[in-house]
Amino acid sequence: MPTLGFRYNTSRRKSYLAAFLVPSLAVIFMFFLVPVLLTLLISLTKMRFSFRWEWVYLGNYVKMMHDRWTPKILSNTLLYVFSTLTLFNVGTGLLISIITNHINEKVGAAFRAIWLLPRITPSTVYALMWLWAIREEPSALFNWILTSLGFEPIKWLWYNPPINWLVIIAVNGFVGASFGMIIFTAALKSIPEDYIRAAKVDGASTWQVVRHVELPLMKWPIMFVTAYQTLSLLTSYEYILLVTDGGPGLYTTEVWALYSYHRAFSQYAGGGELGYGAALSTILVIIGLIMSVIYWKVFRLEELMVEPKIED
Amino acid sequence: MRKILVVSLVALLALSIIISFPISAEEVKTITITVWTIGPDPPSEYRLENFYIAADMLNKYLEILGANIRVKIEGEFFVRPVEWEEYKKKFYLAYEAGKAPDIYLTGHEDVGFLAEEGMIIPLDEYIKKFWNTTYYDVISTLWEAVKHKGRIWAVPQDTEARPLYFRKDVLRELGWSEEEIEALPEKIERGEFTLYDLLKVAKEAVDKGLVKRGLVHRVKEGWDYLQFYLGFGGRLWDPEEGKMVFSQEAWKKTLKWFYDAVWGEYKGVIWPGQFSKDWDKDFHLPITKGEALFCSGGTWHKAEWIKKGLLTEEEFWNNIGFALHPAGEPGKKPVTLSHPLIYTITSQAKERGVDEIAFLLITLVTDPHINSYHAVASAHLAILNSQILDSRYVQDPFLRDVAYMLKYTTFIPNHPKWADYSRIVFETIRAVETGELGPEAAYEHLLESLKEALGDILKIEP
Repeated sequence: MPTLGFRYNTSRRKSYLAAFLVPSLAVIFMFFLVPVLLTLLISLTKMRFSFRWEWVYLGNYVKMMHDRWTPKILSNTLLYVFSTLTLFNVGTGLLISIITNHINEKVGAAFRAIWLLPRITPSTVYALMWLWAIREEPSALFNWILTSLGFEPIKWLWYNPPINWLVIIAVNGFVGASFGMIIFTAALKSIPEDYIRAAKVDGASTWQVVRHVELPLMKWPIMFVTAYQTLSLLTSYEYILLVTDGGPGLYTTEVWALYSYHRAFSQYAGGGELGYGAALSTILVIIGLIMSVIYWKVFRLEELMVEPKIED
Repeated sequence: MRKILVVSLVALLALSIIISFPISAEEVKTITITVWTIGPDPPSEYRLENFYIAADMLNKYLEILGANIRVKIEGEFFVRPVEWEEYKKKFYLAYEAGKAPDIYLTGHEDVGFLAEEGMIIPLDEYIKKFWNTTYYDVISTLWEAVKHKGRIWAVPQDTEARPLYFRKDVLRELGWSEEEIEALPEKIERGEFTLYDLLKVAKEAVDKGLVKRGLVHRVKEGWDYLQFYLGFGGRLWDPEEGKMVFSQEAWKKTLKWFYDAVWGEYKGVIWPGQFSKDWDKDFHLPITKGEALFCSGGTWHKAEWIKKGLLTEEEFWNNIGFALHPAGEPGKKPVTLSHPLIYTITSQAKERGVDEIAFLLITLVTDPHINSYHAVASAHLAILNSQILDSRYVQDPFLRDVAYMLKYTTFIPNHPKWADYSRIVFETIRAVETGELGPEAAYEHLLESLKEALGDILKIEP
């Protein structure tokens, strides 16, 4: 029986391809390429809320280099991205998926469902719940736990950078862990049972199974999640906005994306520096592109895309 | 039978079509004027309501005159949780989309920006038409707030004073006599009770456990805390040179005062997290429940507290006093700050050809009796000299008692770059309160940041 490919001539095939691809391409064009282009153009102006195209060309970028806050905000961003990535998005995600894979199936699934809750809760509701839990009264949730264990209550949102960062990383991490968890769980479940059985027959403990069988086979998902979540964390700012708004002190927990938002949209007296904010965002796009290229090369992600060497 | 049914159905149908056409003798033309206003405090609803009242009056005149034209107001009044930032952004985006309202209420500090961007129209010629009947009566200092580069761009809507509220019951517990408590506002007015005296009394109250906080102030960016800088003799604006001012000594002392109040000699008077953005938890409740001794607030707060049910009128008069913001040190003057709100007419109103009618409505609303609806309901102050004769206004004891404060008032600058000055000051004071910067470091930061942001629009004086 001839395969489908032989029945249709090339131009018909091309038009089918086009019909299937065009909608997604249109979406990408409208909602990704056009905004990036507009942001780039706006970054070359000193546009404010009068929406006038007053060209300053590279003026905003020069301003950025002299901005006294950009070094601190850059280091904040790197701290935020890499801590959340290692501790939660990859670390906790991996931990949850491995543990829930090795216990009773139903219980494991229930735990994973619970871990999905932060991600599906509307961000404002989620942030409000955290704000409620970290109030400084000894009777608030976390302080109550601390005092029950004999510790002093902590003033989580007073100026204390290590504590403030702990809060921010936790707030974002609890959401971020679920993405890795889903990918890693799927990867774990696709490991052929035979490998596990063979290892167990050879006398491997659970830890050895994890370390020598499962983790090596999860190399690709781990690298993929790392790359994807790095970019995702680079541009995330909404939980930081809702919980500390970059504070509590002077840009204590301010990250690059949030700084761009603040400069563009968040001025009390009504002025907003859309041009400067756009320039800050453009830098973020550039950093994202550079990181993508680095990950592509270092993780050799191209190999994920090659044709399988098995004939079908 | 069938024929009768069909005929009667057709007749019914025809009848209903005829009836649905209104039989009107003549066409009435309705002109719609759109108005946007904001509180964000709920009692300020008369900022919009007054337009309905004025339009109603106008329509009555038109009806009596037999004119076939009526005015209709389509208005918006925004209240908390909507804040000024969202309101202004909404306006800018609407303007960009060609859907700006005809009349736009905003703070006077926007006059510079709106005028230079061509979003509002100058009103000098319009005001001339009604000067002798209405506008001559506007308190003359208020015109300064609506001027930019020599032209008038808006009509004042209201003003207020920002008093220092204090709990009389706490002072009684501290051992103050009734005479001493009643005399406090005058002492402040004479400059005999300074900001450091305030810290002393507040610290005593906190140490004795009578209150949890010595002083509460606004919980987000704004202009109230500038009064401490003004109290130390600082200036914000030089009208001759048209520049914003940085008074070095005043800022040094102000930042030191804040530091002393939070971390220094008077530690515990101001709470480090005071800029929490939570109005209820950190502002309204502490002062109305007697958990704070002093409150740097506004006259409208009295109306807000009573409307929200936090205090009754009786409780307010028994337990809360109000005075000017004290001078920083002996030899300086006490102050208050006014932030007049203004009605502007957008250039899109002119394009639509309704600018004259919009101005007519604004003129009708700028009336001592109609404006007093707003002033009394929301505890804002008079904009017209004859308003103090309005029976409602003059009978309100609070408005009568705060009227003297207007002698000591100042405005913030109208300059388009005021937003930068305001933001940098807010950040710095917040950094001092949270403990991130000490007074000297904060001063350096403030000076450097303002110089960088404003360049030669900043005048630095000793």
